[in-house]
Amino acid sequence: MKNKKILKLLGALFAFTLLATACGSSSTDSAGESDGGSDGGSAEASTGLSVAVVAPSASDDVAFTQSMIDSLGRLGVSPQVTDGTFVVEEAAAAIRGFAEDGTDVVVAHGTQYGGSLEEIAPDFPETSFIWGTATDNRGLDNVFAYNPAADQGGYVMGLIAGNIVGGEDIGVVGPVEAGDAVAYINGFALGAEAAGSSTSIVYTGSFSDVALATTTAQAHVDNGVSALTGTSQSAVGAVNIASANELPWFGTQSNTEPWSEDFTVVSQVYHWDVVLAEMFALIEDGTLGGQAFELTLENEGLVLEYNDAFELDADVRAAADEAVAGIISGDIATQ
Amino acid sequence: MSEFFTVSVIFATLSTSIRFAVPYLFAALGETVGQRSGVLNLGVDGIMLLGGFGAYYAVLETDSHILGVIAGLAVGLLMGLVYGVVTVFLHAKQGISGIGIFLFGLGFSDLLFQELVGTPLPIRPLPRLDQLPAVGGIFEPLVELPVVGPLIFDHDLLTFLAFLLVPAVTWLLRKTTFGMNVRAVGENPQAADSLGVSVARTRFISILIGSTLAGLAGATLSMQLAIFQQNLTNGIGFIAVALVYFGAWQPRWVMAGALLYGIVTATRIRWQSLDIIPQGASDVAAMAPAVITILALVLLASRVRGPAALTRPFSRH
Amino acid sequence: MERTPLLSMHNITKTFPGVLANDDVSFDVHSGEVHTLLGENGAGKSTLMKILFGLYQPDSGEIRLRGEIAAIDSPTSAIEHRVGMVHQHFMLVPTLTVAENVALGLPSARGFRTDLDAVSERILEISNQYGLAVDPGIEIWKLSVGERQRVEIIKALYRDAELLVLDEPTAVLTPQEVDDLFVILRQMTNDGTGIIFISHKLHEVLELSDRITVLRNGAVTGSTTPAESDRQQLAEMMVGREVKLAPDKPAVDRGPARLQLRNVSVKGDRGTVAVDDVSLDVHAGEIVGIAGVSGNGQRELAETIAGLRNAQGGSVRIDSTDLTNASPAEVRAAGFAYVPEERMKDGAVGEFEVSENLLLINHGDPQFRKGPLFDFAKIRAHSQRLVDQFSVKTPTLDTPTSTLSGGNIQKLIMARELDSSPTVILAAQPTRGVDIGAAEYIHSQLVQQRSDGVAILMVSEDLDEILGLADRIAVMFDGKIVTVIERESATREALGLAMAGG
Ligand SMILES: Nc1ncnc2c1ncn2[C@@H]1O[C@H](COP(=O)(O)OP(=O)(O)OP(=O)(O)O)[C@@H](O)[C@H]1O
Ligand SMILES: [Mg+2]
Repeated sequence: MKNKKILKLLGALFAFTLLATACGSSSTDSAGESDGGSDGGSAEASTGLSVAVVAPSASDDVAFTQSMIDSLGRLGVSPQVTDGTFVVEEAAAAIRGFAEDGTDVVVAHGTQYGGSLEEIAPDFPETSFIWGTATDNRGLDNVFAYNPAADQGGYVMGLIAGNIVGGEDIGVVGPVEAGDAVAYINGFALGAEAAGSSTSIVYTGSFSDVALATTTAQAHVDNGVSALTGTSQSAVGAVNIASANELPWFGTQSNTEPWSEDFTVVSQVYHWDVVLAEMFALIEDGTLGGQAFELTLENEGLVLEYNDAFELDADVRAAADEAVAGIISGDIATQ
Repeated sequence: MSEFFTVSVIFATLSTSIRFAVPYLFAALGETVGQRSGVLNLGVDGIMLLGGFGAYYAVLETDSHILGVIAGLAVGLLMGLVYGVVTVFLHAKQGISGIGIFLFGLGFSDLLFQELVGTPLPIRPLPRLDQLPAVGGIFEPLVELPVVGPLIFDHDLLTFLAFLLVPAVTWLLRKTTFGMNVRAVGENPQAADSLGVSVARTRFISILIGSTLAGLAGATLSMQLAIFQQNLTNGIGFIAVALVYFGAWQPRWVMAGALLYGIVTATRIRWQSLDIIPQGASDVAAMAPAVITILALVLLASRVRGPAALTRPFSRH
Repeated sequence: MERTPLLSMHNITKTFPGVLANDDVSFDVHSGEVHTLLGENGAGKSTLMKILFGLYQPDSGEIRLRGEIAAIDSPTSAIEHRVGMVHQHFMLVPTLTVAENVALGLPSARGFRTDLDAVSERILEISNQYGLAVDPGIEIWKLSVGERQRVEIIKALYRDAELLVLDEPTAVLTPQEVDDLFVILRQMTNDGTGIIFISHKLHEVLELSDRITVLRNGAVTGSTTPAESDRQQLAEMMVGREVKLAPDKPAVDRGPARLQLRNVSVKGDRGTVAVDDVSLDVHAGEIVGIAGVSGNGQRELAETIAGLRNAQGGSVRIDSTDLTNASPAEVRAAGFAYVPEERMKDGAVGEFEVSENLLLINHGDPQFRKGPLFDFAKIRAHSQRLVDQFSVKTPTLDTPTSTLSGGNIQKLIMARELDSSPTVILAAQPTRGVDIGAAEYIHSQLVQQRSDGVAILMVSEDLDEILGLADRIAVMFDGKIVTVIERESATREALGLAMAGG
């Protein structure tokens, strides 16, 4: 009788694990042609390297992960993708797996994967690892690091926002106080200040909690803010509040127009392809790592994509363009 | 800051809390029925995710919130059938089967989302009372009432339904033969069996009620947020299970827990936005809702022992 | 002409893995009679009754009710055939009220909504008719054992039972409650109800029964009537050999006081004083019996000595060690052995195997270890020895303890405790639910321990047991020890009076 029970239990467990693993692995597939973005200006010709991406959120999150997939698309690369690996151990297994399969380049698209790379990279000296967002490559000579200077675009967008609302408050919905989120938000606050507006910043403590981001945006609105911005995949909750209250919204990481066609003013989009192209060239020449790259307004890794549907005053736009020039020339400090 | 402004901010916070509590409340009330019958379902979060996706997809395709609700309920019911068969009829261990349901819901909702939708597009938000088609006008004066307007009337229908379910579930458990059977099989299934109460049937129906409400909880979440994405619930289902436990298996305390959780969450966000909580303390502040809610319920809710047969499969031999 | 029996069971056979629980049993009951089933622990009495009630299916055999074949495949169909059962282990839901427990499983006059007010009214009618006083609105957990039993009987009467099974209903009752119960049962048989009665207490059996059937090892070994037999004969029919109903006690010199209680006061579960300023010494080589109706502080006193409950005042010593509010482990380390009253709750782990329960208190003992590991061969040998010695009826040493019959679980605990070579033994109701043969063995073991210089404190509601075993008798009433009498000067009447607070 006891045995029969155990058998039944095993059967049930088996069925569940099968289903569960079936779903887990099915998100590992070729991302194929993601919509390639408007300007392919900086993209180089397709590389012959085989590329794989491991990323923490979904490849179409209209944020961090999607920006990488889109960038590779612009370079004509269709990578193999394992996305949604918010558990670091899972990501580590995927990274190692791709390296073992003989993939030329493994993109570890998440700050949190650094520790795993320190263990994995030395085991595969023939493989090049591209890791970000990170400001240095931790002394590993087959690792390239990349990092967006998100504060630069943040500054310009803060300036635009401050000019639109004319001195009124702006609400910021931040995820966790770390990485490019902090850089973006601090740059944004400086820009808003330059235009005479103050910002109210709340970090929810989660990259993914949409309900919390929604609540936070609502709290800002109840406090009387006149514009909203936010970052991370949870920001979608804040965008909806902006739309519902008809407030200007400022997006970052990817273009947020799909979320709010009418109220997205401008999005800072990461075009990793600029630095990726440089890295691919180095790899093809035999240099597998050892350098750190930065996305800036100057190298056009950071692109401000304006929403045509939002009517921006010409002088506000002019001030923004001026700020971009100032940042590139080094006249304006964004940190 | 004028006096009026402060008061109105407090009521706005409360109003947010009420809305925030709704998915927790649906899920926890359903789980209360299940646990009272002796079945723990750790898969609530997974059912919420699938129900949430079902509702989101239905609204995305048809723009009908009614179909969204139906989709959420149907998905919940279906998952309940699976969980019920596995735990009640095959006597599988509840803890591990629940985790299985959760993992399935987590993975499968994401898979469906990737395959059927891809990029998360916002859907039309749930209408508040005064925005309802046809009858909305009737409620307009209510919503415009000072204080109670935004607090009590400026909500969607599902919010009202969730709070009406509190007395309804209490009534079901206390005043109906079914509820009596539920309490009996959760406490002493042998005794219930010896009087001809079908333990299997009672538990099965309780599971169906529980998971259908979990599906509705997910539907409410995705329709209130007007979006779906991977792991949208962020553990709401697990918190709901905890609320049942700390709410001592009584609907009114479970409701108190859900509300308190909402109030503390909304308040800490509010205080962060007003710089009352400094930015550096945001990590600590993020833990406050769970800690405060659990402490309060432990101190306030009359500590009864849980259903004695909770998690124990029943068979005669 | 023979009249048709109310119930007749024909050639019932039932096996469990490794056990032949019922072996071709035939048995019948007429309206208006009490037919007693007698047999050792594990003889198959409860199994036969569970078959009758649809909880188990027989492997073969048939059941006829009022002459017609009855296919009873569930409790529901048993109830439909107007069979009622008061189980050996109560079948009540403690968190539900009396009325809810009675109404459970019955259709409500209001459909989906409960009709507890109507149920309560009917309960009061029944309780007036039979003198079964009980408040329908009260939750079961607030009731005493005797009251719970009444609820069980009301449950059966409410369903118009014509045949009522009572599986060891008196095991947990006070003598007064037993008398009350018998009055009620007689009234029921006068109204035409047939009753199946199970008990290990032979004087009760002789008092109440019209007929007696004896089971041994699952098979019927004989039938008799009270007029044709006496206690000694019944005992021998059950056990199959001669039985000593009262143990021989050799004279033993009373040694120094080993267990010393001084002014012990303890609060009960509801916060009221349960044990009130109790002082008592138990000497080496003596058995002190605590007599009293249960619920007068015996359980709380026992738990305090065992380290399971804290005293609010006073002291507990064993030999020279102060054990006031010590942990159970510390008390055991001082040479204390404990046979608790609630054996399933405090004495054994139901899910554990027999051998695991036998090892429960001495699993750290180096003799059962091979380095860091258990020496399973030794453990098996040890368990087998205890099982044989105390004739614990179990198919294997690996059987889950909860499937043993009630009396056998008690024997199991007794075996474990007496084997730990204690200096002080506290035995609460040591033979409750235990059959005659096993009781004889347990009694002889206690007497043996006494001869070896162990101090024994025995709590019992059974006056025969107290009078047969104790050297001194302390009577407890309302938390106090009202009198301590030497055995020689004790009479049944005087004890009965003191127990009632007189
Ligand atoms: N569910 C079960 N599974 C396995 N064995 C069982 C089960 N129920 C009873 N048994 C075994 O069947 C035999 C008869 O048990 P039963 O409970 O009928 O005895 P009993 O005569 O009522 O004894 P007691 O006087 O101790 O109550 C015992 O050996 C017992 O261990
Ligand atoms: Mg029995």
